[in-house]
This record gives sequence, C-alpha cells and structure tokens, in this order.
Amino acid sequence: MEQIPILKVGRCLLVSIQIDMHDKLAMALQDDLTQKLVETRARGVLIDISALDLVDSFIGRMLSNIAAMARVLDTQTVVVGMRPQVAITLVELGLTLPGIRTALDVDRGLALINKLIDEPEGDSGARGAH
Amino acid sequence: MENLLNHIVRSGAEIVIIDITGVRTVDTLVAQHLIKTVSAARLMGADCIISGIRPQIAQTIVHLGLQLDVTSKATMADAFALALKRTGQVMSRAQIKPT
Repeated sequence: MEQIPILKVGRCLLVSIQIDMHDKLAMALQDDLTQKLVETRARGVLIDISALDLVDSFIGRMLSNIAAMARVLDTQTVVVGMRPQVAITLVELGLTLPGIRTALDVDRGLALINKLIDEPEGDSGARGAH
Repeated sequence: MENLLNHIVRSGAEIVIIDITGVRTVDTLVAQHLIKTVSAARLMGADCIISGIRPQIAQTIVHLGLQLDVTSKATMADAFALALKRTGQVMSRAQIKPT
C-alpha cells in the first residue's frame, strides 16, 4: 500500500506529500503522524505540499485537523510550498485554513518552526490565529 | 491576485504591502477581493500590511461590517518601517563628511 514518508529532521518531523492524496491515505497519514509525534517526541511538524496540484476541501480539512492534533500534543505545525493556484482555489472555496502557519519553502518553514519552538509560551498562536 | 502570488514565489517575499492610497471608494466586491488576496498571500507564507486607507474607506468597511483581519498602517512609510522591523533590517542615515 502507498504510504507517505515521515522523516525526523532535528526537532521536527518532515512530511512531504508527493502523490495525490485520497481519503484513505489522508486518514492513514493522520494516524501515522500522531503515532510518530509521540514516539519521537518531536516539537514541530513541517508539511510540504509543493507537489500537490490540487487541494480540495477534504485535504484542507485534513491539514486543519493535523494542525489541531499536533497542537494538542504540544507541537507546532507549518505548511510549506503551497502553489499560487492552490492558494487561490482554497480562498475561493472559503478555506483560509485558520490556525495553520505557512511558509514559502521548506527552508523558511524550518526557520519559522525553530523560532516557534524557541519562543516562550503564550506568544505562540497569537499570529495566524485569526 | 494571481500576479501577486506568482511574484511572491519568484521573489521569495515574506511581507506584502498593499497600498490603497489611490483608491477612492471601496465597495463590497473590492473589499472581498482584498480579503481574498490577503488570505491567499498568507497561505503562501507571506504577511500582508495594508496602508493608505482613506477615512471614507475606513467608514465604508466598518459600515459594511467587514472584518479585515490584517495589519494596517496609516501611510506607506509606516508600513515600510514595520516591514523593515519585521525582517530585522535597519535603515540609517549615512555619515557624510563635510568636504
């Protein structure tokens, strides 16, 4: 069965989605990711969606769910590499993904996540919470 | 909107300043589009700052009951100063020696 790799990079987990997501795969990813988060005691999750041409409402909700789950597990989530077309589609669908932090590429995403991890509590969640 | 987003990718910009000094009136459609653009830019990892909102436009936005969840600054200069601060850059006057 297809599987999405989850790699540990420093203090975070890197999830690079390279294939078209379908519902079953999305559910499996949520399971795997939460499992790995607890196993590795990672502090951040970086989801790279630069290979995705299409993000529908289901995938959008999945991203929100993953971020919410990660927050419960005391982890920061950053989505990186969203294509312009995908961003336009999501906004037209009314999915602005509140509560998810974003960055342009993996490099900036890692920098942002490390900043968020080092930041004292309380300040995190203030930005992008709307 | 598409142009802006493509430019963000190409230039790797972290901050977008939208200056609407030249815009005299804003109707619901324009405001809606503005909000969409800001949201899309945020999804691409860029923060938006809106500057130069005229008093008339401020009134319209409030009367229309629109929620602009975005940083706004009075003038382009203020917005630029904030952008510099956020990116950790400082601008200072060069010391010119009298000749």
